[in-house]
Amino acid sequence: MNLIPGELPDRLAAEYVLGTLTGGARRRFDALLPAHPALRHAVAAWESRLLPMALKAEAVQPDARVWRSIESQLGWTAPAAATPAPPWRLRFWQLFATVATVAAVVLGTVPRHAPTEAPMIVVLHATKGSDTLVAGLSPDRQQLTIQPLEKVSLTSDQSLELWALKKDGPPASLGVIAADKLTAINKRTLPKDTKGLAVTLEPLGGSPTGAPTGAIVFVGELTL
Amino acid sequence: MTAVVLKSADDLEARLIDWLSRCALGDRQAFRQLYEATSPRLLGVVAQLVGRGALAEDLLQDVYVRIWKAAGQYRAGAGSPMAWMAATARYRAIDHLRSRGARPEVAISDLPLHAGSEDGDDDPTHRMPDPGPGPAQTVEARSEAEAVHGCLGTLQGSQQQSISLAYYQGLSHGEIAAHLGAPLGSVKTWVRRGLIALKACLERCGWSEARS
Repeated sequence: MNLIPGELPDRLAAEYVLGTLTGGARRRFDALLPAHPALRHAVAAWESRLLPMALKAEAVQPDARVWRSIESQLGWTAPAAATPAPPWRLRFWQLFATVATVAAVVLGTVPRHAPTEAPMIVVLHATKGSDTLVAGLSPDRQQLTIQPLEKVSLTSDQSLELWALKKDGPPASLGVIAADKLTAINKRTLPKDTKGLAVTLEPLGGSPTGAPTGAIVFVGELTL
Repeated sequence: MTAVVLKSADDLEARLIDWLSRCALGDRQAFRQLYEATSPRLLGVVAQLVGRGALAEDLLQDVYVRIWKAAGQYRAGAGSPMAWMAATARYRAIDHLRSRGARPEVAISDLPLHAGSEDGDDDPTHRMPDPGPGPAQTVEARSEAEAVHGCLGTLQGSQQQSISLAYYQGLSHGEIAAHLGAPLGSVKTWVRRGLIALKACLERCGWSEARS
């Protein structure tokens, strides 16, 4: 394959990315890529151009066996020891990834002359659907308040539990919250290194283990 | 606690780049985090081409093995990390379709874009120059995603349909020709001209390679 400066490399890159460059031509193109930065650049540009089309596909949660197979294919024989991240943390990151583009924040309107503490309102977005919870500080700033904008539907054996997501360590329970009205929580129970809040679906009365056991239904992040 | 925060797409991108660079250093935990954050999206990309189920998950497994092994080849600035990973997933699925000669059922009604045959471009000798966009075909887009989909909508029907069949169904030129009952030469022309027109339209919308 001759590489002619100008349109041909770009055209080949476009058809490579689209998938219509096939057979021997595709294999030759693959072989050329490592040694030709301009081609790689053209490919990367087309991959980025067409990315929104790929992302139209609905996300599908893979079965847990996929990760185990990847580990075994890579020859990682002791997966439990090799992957120390506890499950809650993975869920946490995954959820942030999912909500990253939609998480929104509303700054409070408390006057700026209150120097000790700026206002805080966090909007927690549902991991599925469009429901939101709003967390904020009470007027006296002693309470963290949290309120669903719309009633969250629960079965009779379920509770919503609020968690502080910390910089390090497992999430800390802030207790069970109401599904249909404002819940106030003493702000002092909020760990200092809290970086986000999450709400999980737990058995009635809250998690029996002290750690989240159910799906995260709302998540939002705050900075300190 | 002073303020609250916006998690932007850029934050995610920065995290993906960080994980990828740590993967290149052999950090398995970073790889696990990368997997957790991106696998549902990439499985969606694979499943779009080969259908949902065990096959898609088997291919996804290969995709992540490739990502782990090639993480060192990904360079920040060479394109967005998600574009690179999604492309890796598409290529694996397309390889599978080509090697098996297998392809999923194509239902035109399922395609995101519909195309008419109003341009009558069925003749392989048809070599009329592309007229380019008219005033009604300018695209106003506030985001890259809108730009791509908007620009696709400005293509001639047969170009749009050919590109959609290739991208969303993973069809080759020959398969598109068979599917549309059109000559192979016409399909190749539609795809080529469609891609050229798509790129030109994106550039008019302000999409620049510097952002890639």
